[in-house]
Amino acid sequence: MLWVDKYRPRTLDKIIVHDEIAQNLKKLVSEQDCPHLLFYGPPGSGKKTLIMALLKQMFGPGAEKVKLENKPWKIDAGSRTIELELTTLSSTHHIELNPSDAGFQDRYIVQEIIKDMAKIRPLDAKGKKGFKVLLLNQVDKLSREAQHSLRRTMEKYSASCRLILCCNSSSRVTEAIRSRCLNVRVNAPTHEQIVKVLEFIAKKESLQLPPGFAARIASQSNRNLRRAILSFETCRVQQYPFTANQAISPLDWEQYVSEIASDIMKEQSPKRLFLVRGKLYELLVNCIPPEIILKKLLSELLKKLDFELKHEVCHWAAYYEHKMRMGQKAIFHIEAFVAKFMSIYKSFLIATFG
Amino acid sequence: MSDIRKWFMKQHDKGNASAPAKPAKSATLPPEKPVEKPLQAQAVQENSGRRKTSKYFATAADADTSSKQKMKDEAKTKRAPARKTSEVFADEDDNDFKPSPAKKLHKDEDDAFVLPNEKKKTTPVRPAKKLKNAAGVGVAKHSVDDEDDNEEDELALEDVETPVKAGGRGKGGRGSGAAAGGRGRGGGRGGRGGFMNFGERKDPPHKGEKEVPEGAPDCLSGLTFVISGTLDSLEREEAEDLIKRHGGRVTGSVSKKTNYLLADEDIGGNKSKKAKELGTTILTEDGLFDMIRKSKPVKVSPQKDLKKQITGKADGSQVKSSPSKRDTKGISDDQSSSLIKRGAVGSAHKRKSGDGNSLTWTEKYRPKVPNDIVGNQSIIKQLHDWLARWHEQFLYIGHKGKGKKQNDSGFKKAVLISGSPGIGKSTSAKLVSQMLGFKTIEVNASDSRGKADSKILKGIGGSTSNCIKEFVNNEALSHTKDRSKHPKSVLIMDEVDGMSAGDRGGVADLIASIKISKIPIICICNDRYSQKLKSLINYCLPLNFRKPTKQQMAKRLMQIASAEGLQVNEIALEELADRVNGDIRMALNQLQYMSFSQSVLEYDDIKRRLLASAKDEDISPFTAVDKLFGFNGGKLRMDERIDLCMSDPDLVPLIIQENYINYRPTSIGKDENGVKRMNLLARAAESIADGDVVNVQIRRYRQWQLSQAGSFASCIVPAALMHGNRETFESGERNFNRFGGWLGKNSTTGKNLRLLEDVHVHVLASQESSLDRETLRLDYVPLILKQLTDPLRVLPKDAAVQKVVEFMDAYSLSQEDFDTIVELSKFQGHPNPMDGIQPAVKAALTKAYKQGSSTRHVRVADLITLPGQKKAPKKRIAAILEPDENGLLEENGGTSLDGEEEDSSDTNDAGDGIDPDNDKKPQFDLLNNKSKGIQVQLDLKNNDKPNAKKTPPASKPRGSASTEKRGGLGKRRR
Repeated sequence: MLWVDKYRPRTLDKIIVHDEIAQNLKKLVSEQDCPHLLFYGPPGSGKKTLIMALLKQMFGPGAEKVKLENKPWKIDAGSRTIELELTTLSSTHHIELNPSDAGFQDRYIVQEIIKDMAKIRPLDAKGKKGFKVLLLNQVDKLSREAQHSLRRTMEKYSASCRLILCCNSSSRVTEAIRSRCLNVRVNAPTHEQIVKVLEFIAKKESLQLPPGFAARIASQSNRNLRRAILSFETCRVQQYPFTANQAISPLDWEQYVSEIASDIMKEQSPKRLFLVRGKLYELLVNCIPPEIILKKLLSELLKKLDFELKHEVCHWAAYYEHKMRMGQKAIFHIEAFVAKFMSIYKSFLIATFG
Repeated sequence: MSDIRKWFMKQHDKGNASAPAKPAKSATLPPEKPVEKPLQAQAVQENSGRRKTSKYFATAADADTSSKQKMKDEAKTKRAPARKTSEVFADEDDNDFKPSPAKKLHKDEDDAFVLPNEKKKTTPVRPAKKLKNAAGVGVAKHSVDDEDDNEEDELALEDVETPVKAGGRGKGGRGSGAAAGGRGRGGGRGGRGGFMNFGERKDPPHKGEKEVPEGAPDCLSGLTFVISGTLDSLEREEAEDLIKRHGGRVTGSVSKKTNYLLADEDIGGNKSKKAKELGTTILTEDGLFDMIRKSKPVKVSPQKDLKKQITGKADGSQVKSSPSKRDTKGISDDQSSSLIKRGAVGSAHKRKSGDGNSLTWTEKYRPKVPNDIVGNQSIIKQLHDWLARWHEQFLYIGHKGKGKKQNDSGFKKAVLISGSPGIGKSTSAKLVSQMLGFKTIEVNASDSRGKADSKILKGIGGSTSNCIKEFVNNEALSHTKDRSKHPKSVLIMDEVDGMSAGDRGGVADLIASIKISKIPIICICNDRYSQKLKSLINYCLPLNFRKPTKQQMAKRLMQIASAEGLQVNEIALEELADRVNGDIRMALNQLQYMSFSQSVLEYDDIKRRLLASAKDEDISPFTAVDKLFGFNGGKLRMDERIDLCMSDPDLVPLIIQENYINYRPTSIGKDENGVKRMNLLARAAESIADGDVVNVQIRRYRQWQLSQAGSFASCIVPAALMHGNRETFESGERNFNRFGGWLGKNSTTGKNLRLLEDVHVHVLASQESSLDRETLRLDYVPLILKQLTDPLRVLPKDAAVQKVVEFMDAYSLSQEDFDTIVELSKFQGHPNPMDGIQPAVKAALTKAYKQGSSTRHVRVADLITLPGQKKAPKKRIAAILEPDENGLLEENGGTSLDGEEEDSSDTNDAGDGIDPDNDKKPQFDLLNNKSKGIQVQLDLKNNDKPNAKKTPPASKPRGSASTEKRGGLGKRRR
């Protein structure tokens, strides 16, 4: 098993990084009930770990016995029936699902499926914990319509059901939903915290950690704990014993994006644009989400860019990202960004160096 | 024809209430007919002329005098006859023929602005109003000699008003002498036609440098030409036009009938070879020009150079919005000489048709006997035979006892005639029926043809279909003892493919009717392959009408034209037949329409007249993109561009997006550092991205009103920015537009996402991790891949295989998942993750994995299909079985301790159990067929122990190690 999963803390008590939040949560649920919760924070900061530990705290070990279900749903939407397939992870006490998987039909999931689940009040012999938890992932990817239908559900079935929402950015969750939840911001762990975790793992695995190595991994992980642990293990697979100046290989797709960036910087021509398009397709075909590509591409470009252009380039990246979310064919927008960048950069070069 | 004009006049009179209505002969016409806009306009113009004439029918002498007065003015007239007419024609191309109340306004305007001139000139016999009307003329000349003079007069007036635009009508009306003028007009619209075909064939070396001669319009008549290779100065289409214009015929291949092979260079192709064989004269372009020049009328227009330009562009593939004003001058000069001549010719013909009736030509010349029908004679014969034999087939048999001698089992009770519109299906059905003495009952789309009411009690009073039912049932009607007295009947169901929502169950009912029918039924449709008619075809004898050839049509059209006194040559009619695509009805309508304004039709008239319909042809998305990006892309009209985009609103944007990078825009001019081009590229890309956003609105929120905006953003803007020369990026690449890559990439992405989702579900099912799909791809996959492939490369075979299988089991990854992960990590230009792994190792891995497969939960679950589940996706089953195990465990161990104990003991057992397996393995291999059965049994045994899923097929120490691990895991999980 991978270290990420192996050393994932399973209870609130064992949590190292966000111990403060963990303790607060513990106090919160010790009084039998809890409000709706919205966890938000950057990826790899430990939201899911916190949630799972919280569930365990609430329901005991029963919350860990989950079953995976992939059910087809038939939803009657006026004139037509919509067939959806949705994967859910559920225990007797909670159901976890990812409504944004349904794409633009997510509203039906919220309206029908979640309502359906929320309605059923769990029976408990002892008469306590009379609610179940609905855990929704990636709420920020829900369409606006879906979020609107969600808020009604939250109120109507609050007697029998608690929602735990999990997302990266709270700005894409509507105000209405945010105000109905207790918002929990989960910060990205600091470098020191990451180093601490890595040292902890090294100790458990009884590895020799050269000084400074953990810090280097931490700094390259972009404050993403999961990525730090994963790349730590990658290093372990590649070479052990560690050496102090061992190369930490970047992720395959990140490497590819930075190659694209240097392609763009080297030459700005229609031919190069065409080449870049091919590479972008390659990334998309390999299931890298377009938003991530654009973001990474921008940060790679910024690294090599003159100061005076940064502002403008950032503006255009944001502009095209916005359009990408409104549109459907991501490649068009990324390509438009690349073309725009090339145009700006080329005229800048000519203006500066003639 | 003239009465039609009268009818117009009548209309007009109604419109202008002030003008006193002339009773004349107009009464014959049905007044409720809608008036077409352009016609009406015409009518206005004619009106006064009409009035004069009608007056003069009464007193001819009177008229004469008035006409003479006009003659005086004629000197001035030379210029610009009837620019109105041409305008009218232009209108008619664009407008649907709709009656519109707004027309009156328009008229009045016309009238108003003529007024001042009029007063100066015309004899003050009439009130001003009429004079006004007279001024608008343009078409009036048709009916009587004197009228022509009138017209001249009026033309003159008009000329004064709008000298610049004069001359639109050019050759059409001018008889043979006016060829030169006509030419000018033909060229006027040409624009840069030649460029349109840029790139298809090699450019003529001296393109546009030679002067294209004009000759008598029929100087080449009776000659057949074949064009081969590239000519010296003419595009091929131009040459073809030139020949056709002068009455010659152009065919595609050389035959005995070919008189000349037109070729400037001997390219040694098939054509020239054949020509040499047959001894056909080979003509160069100059030779052709000489031929034409020789025949040229004495008169040479002073504006020769102008005309040259014009004719050079006569290709006509492009209608210029500006009807090039300069050439009009040339025409008008010529016209001065030809005017009189033309008048004579025109009037001579008109006389004949003056007393015609009110029928449209399509009605008037509807075939009276089956032999008149153009083409399809054999099918008509078939229809005839079928109808003639119908009664003996279906009725007499019944009478001669039950001895049904099925002499022709293929004989159907009904026929289904199919074919494109306007080729005479209904007509032939009717004619054949008539000829055989049948009474026809016709039911067409104007009748409701729904399913018959089951309560037939309503009877004939009910819907039409009830009537049909009654009708086909009714023996008395068709089949009585003295049948000679009662006419036989035949039911013609016209337009059966038009049975739609309104005619619910219509086709089924028709079939039922056919089954019980006692009379023959003829069904007529346009598209026999229509889905609706699928069931009907089985009950009918299918007869497929083909389009008549253009020669056949031209012949018939010629007869009609001469009967109507219309002068037109055969080449022109062939062109017409070609353009209307076999629809003889449309051809007649067009012909009649053109005859209103002109008595002599020529090739160019028809070509111009029908240009509008030519663009309805199917355009492939590639052609559309070619045109948009082409050199002339910037010169297309906006509606043309939209039409091009709309030829396939899904595909065109994709092809544009794929190819816009490849074009070097003409608009940037010289651009040595490429900044401008890059800038345009960025703008085009942005516009394409906008188009995508609009497209989402259209598709997702069904905002179809945005589709124009969508095609504007996604096609027109990028094309407008980038149109120019296409260039390739790599040598050896074909310089054609690529097909849009997005579709393919998108579907690959979709497939990979599904595969990734499989992996995701399996990982979730392993309950080791609860991650989402994105995280799996972004963070986990690189490491998982390393874990899966690195050992295979580094470690010795057995150890490696064992380690990998162990890892896969931990995350319940299947072999397909392994492949997926490898596939997803492949990047172009990066080493394949599977490189450096020995094939032997791979094989060993597969083997090892398969061996352990039966002990794995998810895998086992995959193999079971649930009954009653239509499609049984693996994931679902995997998921369903998983909880069972959990439930079991839960029951087993109320406390976690118990469970753990059981867990470990089970695995130990399993480990023990498998060891002997391994020992036995060689033996199994020897017992080939049976071994399978045995192995399955063993597997089942293993299966019985629910927790044995992760037992590696390995040596004991390892096995125990893994069991310890399992134990540990179990503890944590519970």
